Amino acid sequence: MAVQELELKPSVPSSPLVGFWKVFSRNRMAVVGLVMLVALVIVAGFADAIAPYDPKSYAGIQSSDIYNRPSAAHWFGTDDAGKDVFSSFMFGARNSLIVGFFAAFISIFIGGTIGVVAGYFGGRIENFLMRFTDMMLVIPDLPLIVVFVSLTKPSLWNIILVIGLLGWTTTARIVRSQTLAVKSRKFVLRARAIGAGNRHIIINHILPLVMPILVVNAILVISLAILSESTLAFLGLSDPLAISWGQMLNFAFGRGAMSVGAWWALVVPGFGIVWVVLGLTLLGNGLEQVLNPRLESHHLMPGKTTLRKEAGFHQLRKPLRDSPVVLDVQNLSINYVSDDKPPARAVENVSFRLHEGELMGLVGESGCGKTTLMMSLTRLLGSSGQIVNGGVIFNNMDLATVTEEELASIRWNGISIVFQGAMNALNPVRTVGDQIGEAIKKHLPIETEKLVEERVVELLELVGIAAHNKDRYPHQYSGGMRQRAMIAMALACAPQVVIADEPTTALDVMIQAQILELLNELRKKLGLAIIFVTHDLGVVAEMCDSVLVMYGGVTAEYADVDTIYNSPRHPYTQELLKAFPDLSNPEKRLTSIPGYPPKLDALPPGCRFAPRCPLAFERCSEETPDLHELGNGHVASCHLVEGS
Amino acid sequence: MRKFKSLTILILVGALILSACGGLGQSQPVTMRVGWSGSPDTLNPGAAVLSEAYTIFGLVFDTMYQLQLDGSFKLSLAESVSVSDDGLVYTYKIRDGVTFHDGQPLTAEDVVFTYYLYQNTDGYPWMGDYTYYFENMEATANNEVVITLSEPIPNIDAQLVFLYVLPKHVWENEDPVEFENTAMIGSGPFKVVEYQPEEFVHLARNDEYFGEVPKIDELIFQSFGSQDALVQAIKTGQVDMIYELPNTAVATLEEDPNIQVVTGAPFAPGVTDIIMNQVTPENCPPDDGLCTGHPALLDRNVRLALAHATDKQKIIDVVLLGLGTPGTALLPDGLGIWYNSSIQDYAYDLDKAKQILDDAGYADTNSDGVREMPDGSRTLTFRINWDSDNIDPPRIAELLSEMWGPLGVKLEAQALDSDTLTSVCCPAFDFDIIIWGWGSDPDPNLLLSVMTTDEIPTGSSETGYSNSEYDALYYEQAAELDLERRKEIVWQMQQIVFDDVVYIIPYYAQNVQAYRSDRFTGFVLDQPKVELSDITSLAYVEPVR
Amino acid sequence: MSHYRYLLRKIGWSAFTIVFVILLNFFLFRILPGDPARSLTKDPRMKQDAVEALRVRFGLDKPIINCFDSFTPVRIGSCSVNPLETQFFIYVKNLFQGEFGISYKTNRPVSDILVERLWNTILLIGAGQILSIIIGVVFGVFAAWKARTSIDYGALLTGLMAWSLPTFWLGIILLFWGSNNGLPIGGKSTPGASTYPLLFQIGDIAEHMLLPTLTYTIVFMGEYMLVMRSSLMDVLSEDYILTAKAKGLSTFQILKDHALKNAMLPIVTIIAINLGFTVAGAIQIESVFSWPGLGGAIFEAVESRDYPLLQGTFLLIAISVVLANLIADLTYSYLDPRVQSE
Repeated sequence: MAVQELELKPSVPSSPLVGFWKVFSRNRMAVVGLVMLVALVIVAGFADAIAPYDPKSYAGIQSSDIYNRPSAAHWFGTDDAGKDVFSSFMFGARNSLIVGFFAAFISIFIGGTIGVVAGYFGGRIENFLMRFTDMMLVIPDLPLIVVFVSLTKPSLWNIILVIGLLGWTTTARIVRSQTLAVKSRKFVLRARAIGAGNRHIIINHILPLVMPILVVNAILVISLAILSESTLAFLGLSDPLAISWGQMLNFAFGRGAMSVGAWWALVVPGFGIVWVVLGLTLLGNGLEQVLNPRLESHHLMPGKTTLRKEAGFHQLRKPLRDSPVVLDVQNLSINYVSDDKPPARAVENVSFRLHEGELMGLVGESGCGKTTLMMSLTRLLGSSGQIVNGGVIFNNMDLATVTEEELASIRWNGISIVFQGAMNALNPVRTVGDQIGEAIKKHLPIETEKLVEERVVELLELVGIAAHNKDRYPHQYSGGMRQRAMIAMALACAPQVVIADEPTTALDVMIQAQILELLNELRKKLGLAIIFVTHDLGVVAEMCDSVLVMYGGVTAEYADVDTIYNSPRHPYTQELLKAFPDLSNPEKRLTSIPGYPPKLDALPPGCRFAPRCPLAFERCSEETPDLHELGNGHVASCHLVEGS
Repeated sequence: MRKFKSLTILILVGALILSACGGLGQSQPVTMRVGWSGSPDTLNPGAAVLSEAYTIFGLVFDTMYQLQLDGSFKLSLAESVSVSDDGLVYTYKIRDGVTFHDGQPLTAEDVVFTYYLYQNTDGYPWMGDYTYYFENMEATANNEVVITLSEPIPNIDAQLVFLYVLPKHVWENEDPVEFENTAMIGSGPFKVVEYQPEEFVHLARNDEYFGEVPKIDELIFQSFGSQDALVQAIKTGQVDMIYELPNTAVATLEEDPNIQVVTGAPFAPGVTDIIMNQVTPENCPPDDGLCTGHPALLDRNVRLALAHATDKQKIIDVVLLGLGTPGTALLPDGLGIWYNSSIQDYAYDLDKAKQILDDAGYADTNSDGVREMPDGSRTLTFRINWDSDNIDPPRIAELLSEMWGPLGVKLEAQALDSDTLTSVCCPAFDFDIIIWGWGSDPDPNLLLSVMTTDEIPTGSSETGYSNSEYDALYYEQAAELDLERRKEIVWQMQQIVFDDVVYIIPYYAQNVQAYRSDRFTGFVLDQPKVELSDITSLAYVEPVR
Repeated sequence: MSHYRYLLRKIGWSAFTIVFVILLNFFLFRILPGDPARSLTKDPRMKQDAVEALRVRFGLDKPIINCFDSFTPVRIGSCSVNPLETQFFIYVKNLFQGEFGISYKTNRPVSDILVERLWNTILLIGAGQILSIIIGVVFGVFAAWKARTSIDYGALLTGLMAWSLPTFWLGIILLFWGSNNGLPIGGKSTPGASTYPLLFQIGDIAEHMLLPTLTYTIVFMGEYMLVMRSSLMDVLSEDYILTAKAKGLSTFQILKDHALKNAMLPIVTIIAINLGFTVAGAIQIESVFSWPGLGGAIFEAVESRDYPLLQGTFLLIAISVVLANLIADLTYSYLDPRVQSE
């Protein structure tokens, strides 16, 4: 069975740099950091012009000028030699920055080279380099630096060299991990397969992907180098004739600033160091957020409250079957909200009814809103998802608006979920049995530990996993076993509805079959209602009772399975089926649907499928089609079926 | 009944508290706390090199002579001395009844034992020098110490003043170099109560002392991390006296009514010098000498011009905040009578300096601001180095650079760590100019020897200066027993080296010390030199009542 | 079985690293310029004989290693040097006997000095680490939990600023403020405190520890906070957190049972590594506050070119770092079951 897959390609920005700048400028932290740095670099660069005094000159200085308080003549007072602190500060910025940058450059160069070489070539080379790195990491750097610098000529170049030569270890490690990750990416393997040379691959493929993380690390290294220089200068190990902030502090601390109360000689240079390091840190942290946006939100951030719009909702006139309805989703609309973009209308006006014992298939391309819809049922959307219309009726409650406490008791107890990609869906540091037991303990009034264990074993055996596995960890299970364990866990509290979100996508065909059979069996045995999210039409055909086809966040078509397969009315459904190989017709030509799914925050007017619909006409791109009833609960949203 | 009981308890408790408070006040010993920023390296008088150790030794041990604040020596352990006519045999009568801190008597036996110990132990850095001329030492039954010299010397007092007398019964069983001597059994006015290395030395009065018994009960020397910390300590009253402090703090401390700041010539004379490499190729040490000095410095005219171009008062103002006097020759004013106070320093006169160089043929032919040698071979660019451990020399180097610049002289400054500095200085002579300094004995012999030809290959001569007239005078004064005659020779020697501009001495720094005048009084302040930490003061201070 | 192999590998590697450090330690101080004997005092009052005697005493007259007189290969005679008489061999032999040599400056056995100093440093660093871990972790958890709210931004900014402060500078500022307000200016205890009753002694030391510990805590709390925050945010965006939420567990339950254990793993590693390095990292704090610890010892030893003390301190620090790393690895392997079966 072929699996129809359309890769979601983001809209390509005009140039990567412009695109990067756009994202970057939105990150306040990064921008503030950058501004701080630029301001200081300008001051340092133009020190000759801006500084009121020449810090090297003793012209006109007398002993009464020493440690003078800030005044109009000297904004930040004078130091131990009677010189203007402000001017020294500006010139000192130069040396502090220069040493920091050059030393960091050396570190990054060495670390980057070692990291890439180790990661790329692997084997003995990697082993040797990484062992060497580990050993250097272990040697305490400040004492080593202190020893080296104090026993050699005090000069800025020595300091740069020593800091640079001893600061590359973390860079090497990070770059190596990143190289390893990139090395196994498909395009690198492809390049090697076509015989590209190592140097070419490294420069053209590996480096560009390692660069971002290297840049973030570089910023950290620079700030550390500046801190190191100031510490060394403070300890008296730098060139005393080279003004730097650390050197200013060395003179102040060593020539009695504290006892005189000359706080300005101590605060001002230190403030400079803090300014630069803070700027770099903000920039680095901001960059990291830009490059690794995962850090922006997490699952425990509070969600958005449901909006209650007065717009009426469709009432599906005839249910698809006769058994009692367990879940009634009415006109559900979900937006993803953000501060600076218009909301993405991820799901709009979707309705369906799930009956007891029914297995509904939810079909659509990646990004059509299937997962969003499913997550919204028990309000598991992230912090930017918001239900803006409609309701989720379950057990006479509208889950979209109940309180957190009420919801907590419904979750898993009434509606549970089998997630896709069970590798991360289970906590790797807790045993599987533990995690299943957790659900039991939360919802069921089982008193003793022993009884819980018994129930866990029962569940595992139900899905065909031997009892002793309950004390093992997820990584010790095979892929198929994990998925079955997820199913076992989903059943732990005997829920009424189980949502299976692409439970077999990552598994091989044989296991797939097993899992599907298992689900079917359990459904019959336990009277479960299952929503099966997939983009595999073959599975849908085999197992489902009803099918909901979604496109671009809206219902394309919704009917019982036979109707969908034998008489699809929506062009999208028809195209899907055309792209699907039919065993009974091996000669059939397979087609694909050209084009890309719509951008949900910039939807064109009219039908969302219109741009790709082979049957589209003028009205389609002007007016959004209603959901038309086609009898027996069959609905489709297309202008073409109007009036049927 | 119960009320009565609780009242009694209340009264009892109250009484206890009051008595504790009052009791504390009564039995509280009078303790003077002294702060310093270093600490003794070891309590072994033979092995120690740091001045803090010597400060303690001076309080805990006795010596044959004691150095006074006016620079003279007074007999201490000995009550009398007689010299043979040939000046070779000295007989000292040791006082009777002197005891060590452990109660054992101190006799001539201990003295002789000590002197031999110092002489024979190879691992003692300085003691070999002090006992160099002692050929034979004996203790007589009459509690006398007879010292026979190998040749007559004028300054036996200066040799004996650092030979702290140790108890034979303690030291004869110990390894002289390894023995840590933390108990420090001596015979001096103070004895050790507790010693924490790097933290403090806790002394208490020795009531059995044969001399002036101190008036304070206890004396604690406490180590602080920096001079700033010392100033804070005395301001907040954590210590009662500090004998080193940054000059920048003087103004602040003087404003404080509870603190008295005293300045004066240093007790242990030291000098900061600007060394110019003048070693000639003939005198360059054959084995170790690199002799890369700039040839211009061999020319007296150049050195003289540099001297005239140096504004010493400015250096004193910036570096010492005015607490110093311009220097002349290598011997500082702290050497008392030995210091030639008649020498007139070279005036700060930039024009004159320029004139001298012009006349001598050093012109700036290419108008780049730096003069060249008369033969045009090199510019007058000098390397200048100093010990990176010191915080004042960089400021001096900056000032010199600014002062000599208009003269047409360029300086290439580079701080060096002390090891490297030693290795370039002497006897390698691989430098042009060095800013350094000396600590001196009360006797001028050491500083004078530094400018002799014989010391060039040993590494003691920093300048490589060689003058046979000076050398002859040196050996003369080393053997001259008559004080006045010796003083004349020493004065003459200073004039010679001053005229030859062997060094440029920027200043003689003053000693700056402070004490809590609201707590203690009686410090000896009317002498030319001031040293609050010396026994001369500490024996007499008493608390302010 | 494989767990034991993992342990053995790690321990073996640590041992190898220690050997490397010992070698490095020895040669490092021999290749640097300067004559150790001469550096004891540059005062010419020291006669040549005394210099020679000192050289013999510290074993500096022996060849460094077979046939090498200095670090440039110069053959001594016909190279019939007894290898047991080389400086290197003597050094290694002494090490195994627990002898670290004699300090040049104080003539005391280096091992005595090290032991005294080590306890002082452990006391100071221990207190500082504990406080900074507690404060940092707690703030980090809150910041991650309440991500993108003002609590988070406030904590983030505080953590970043704390991290940006140069340690020695913060120490100076605190010292300045503290000493003007009655706190001690430095040192570990008031002299003569050993005569006080025990309770007063403890109080005295605590008073002296206040400022340096505060400095240490502020600087390191920033690091722990930032790491905890990002680690917890990473963990909280993992799929299994969504699973836990879907199970109906409360936020607090999720944090407690699922998130914290995972998020603490990187912290554990950092704690162990920091502990190893803090022995060294205390150089700044110990110099500013005159605390008599190992960090200060290194700095003083460097100032006075006291090579045996410098060597001993350096070796001790390096070994403690290696051991700390080993402990970190072992602890991590116990906490994270995924590591065991690698």
